[in-house]
Amino acid sequence: MGHMDLSHRTIGNIGKYQAMELGNLESGLVVALYRQALRLRRTEEALIGEYHPADEMRCPVHFCIGQEAVPAALSMLLESDDYLFSHHRSHGYYFAKGCPMQELFAEIYGKATGANGGKAGSQDVSHVSNRFFSGAILAGAVSIAAGTAFALQLKRSTSVSVSGFGEGATDEGAFWEVANYAGVKRLPLLLVCENNRYATYSDQLKRQASDNICARVRPFGVRAEQVFGNDVLEVYRTLQAAFEHVRTGQGPALVEAYTHRWNSHVGPEDDGNNHYRTREELDFWKTNCPVVLLEEKLFETGLLTAAAKARMEAEIAEEVAAHFAFAKSSPFPARPDWHIANNGDATPLADRLLGTAVESEFNHFQADARLEPY
Amino acid sequence: MSRELSYAKAINEAQRQAMELSDDVIVLGQLADTPAGIFGTTSGLVDTFGVDRVQDFPVAENLMTATAIGSALVGLRPVIVHQRLDFMIYSLDAIVNWLALWRFKSNGKSNMPVTIRAIVGRGWGQGPQHSKSLHAWFAHLPGIRVAVPTTPYDAKGLLLESILGECPSIFIEGRSLFSMSGDVPEAPYRVRFGQAALRRPGKDVTVVAIGMMAPQAVRAATELAKEGIDVQVIDLRTLSPWDEQTVLDGVADTRRLLVADPGWHSFGAAAEIVATVSERLHGRLAVGPARVTLPDSHTPMSSALEQEYYPRDEHLMQSIRDLVQ
Repeated sequence: MGHMDLSHRTIGNIGKYQAMELGNLESGLVVALYRQALRLRRTEEALIGEYHPADEMRCPVHFCIGQEAVPAALSMLLESDDYLFSHHRSHGYYFAKGCPMQELFAEIYGKATGANGGKAGSQDVSHVSNRFFSGAILAGAVSIAAGTAFALQLKRSTSVSVSGFGEGATDEGAFWEVANYAGVKRLPLLLVCENNRYATYSDQLKRQASDNICARVRPFGVRAEQVFGNDVLEVYRTLQAAFEHVRTGQGPALVEAYTHRWNSHVGPEDDGNNHYRTREELDFWKTNCPVVLLEEKLFETGLLTAAAKARMEAEIAEEVAAHFAFAKSSPFPARPDWHIANNGDATPLADRLLGTAVESEFNHFQADARLEPY
Repeated sequence: MSRELSYAKAINEAQRQAMELSDDVIVLGQLADTPAGIFGTTSGLVDTFGVDRVQDFPVAENLMTATAIGSALVGLRPVIVHQRLDFMIYSLDAIVNWLALWRFKSNGKSNMPVTIRAIVGRGWGQGPQHSKSLHAWFAHLPGIRVAVPTTPYDAKGLLLESILGECPSIFIEGRSLFSMSGDVPEAPYRVRFGQAALRRPGKDVTVVAIGMMAPQAVRAATELAKEGIDVQVIDLRTLSPWDEQTVLDGVADTRRLLVADPGWHSFGAAAEIVATVSERLHGRLAVGPARVTLPDSHTPMSSALEQEYYPRDEHLMQSIRDLVQ
């Protein structure tokens, strides 16, 4: 795409996207990127298939169909020691950090075997041992990711803290506190903005003077680059450069990937009756489906055959079916001890390090004390 | 054995000892790395522990709290400091939507050893934006511990317990207590959450005092003893959790309860304590419970109005007399 500025105002002029290039990416990596994107697409489609009318999940789900490119690329770039913080459209990020599918499914079904025992659900799921966290109060997670970057820097770690969010999060003041602090401290923070234009039904161009977030974070000292967010390979290259910048201690980076969600904001329905996007706009993005664009390139270059694709589809279908069976057959959680669920009363470190003073040996009598002003 | 420290110095010592005991303890706060050191409570720490572990922070309280949360995920034990609790309100999202529910949402897999120190002003014209305590707000939240220490001894022990414990803690400090001195052991020690202190035994009436009201309650009790009224004073020390048993045992003996709370009257901490005692000791009370609180009003600046706003010793004494007569 070169270095021209992207904008949702004009992006439709691209028509059918023709600029995908393999470049010098290894063929194994390219196929793995495709498989990751396809797996995410099929997983979301399968979840949608079970969502209604069965209604067994009873869990708000923000599906990410149409936005597979960024999570697929991240999955090939994140190290196990890196931290990843996701927005509410979390499934792609969950997979990108290598978290197990069956625990996600069970979580969405509210089962005891879920990643969080059914307490969190799709929009709040976390997987602590994989250093994956998410949350629905968007800019809050970006701020926490900055805190993790701060601690990684203090510990002289080469790990990166990665925060995925939508352009809606940049409406919040909290986001700009992050931009300022990450810049001044040169934090190892990678900000990944999936700019899908709409905060629920609200157009970014009604909320912000420009849809170019890169231009606004650069003065803070944040390296920033835009990318056509449905070109998995270009997204990969752009993120790879950003990771390199951050991991080598050169400071924070932001990647702004222009993309589009196909379903309604939440749930699998079409929310077009709110008239916030045109049929032409949705058609443009579906024409440039991230999975299909890459698939066409793979067929064209001979990296993928119809038989190999069929094998891949069968493997994914088998995996997804097994995880549904696990989730559906898992038990619901029992009623917890509400206090213990919310409060960790164990104090192993304090037990080890702190003594107990005999309070009666000390004078606690404060009757002579006068409250002083100020 | 006996050694006196001011409340501010006790807080300083608690942080110093926590930092000596664990390399994971860090202190963040606006001007925390200056010689003035937030009313002396962080003075000198940067000289000992360096600029990594004691850091100034931008005037961005929400991010400061989020930074503590994100740091805890990497194994640190951050202490963050607000010179006035009122500024901490910028960080309600980080506290309410993230910190408080982190353990719950992770299904117990991730704890948050984060300590938030918040200083509450009182007097000399602090006015409506430098004096709010809001301890009841935070005690209402599941997943957060709230300490309201009154003595230097409690300030040190509870702060060490907060920093080296595993739960997030909000540590509310009365600025007017800072120069009070009292016995403080030198070796690091713990004061547990949920354990009230019996400041004065008494058989006629139980006064449950919170934070800055505790010294006043002890003083009132001392005066009333001259009138033959024997007042038991319980300093709650922590609001979440609070020591229900000590309060219930005390009131079961005296059959009279007054709660002295330096917060607003309606829906406050005093209401929770009165409600619990009423539920559990109904029929055994000699007289209905009473509350001495701030009025349902914001804090005035004028010294004349401050005199009207904050409960004075004579208010407290009269309220106690009313219960026993």
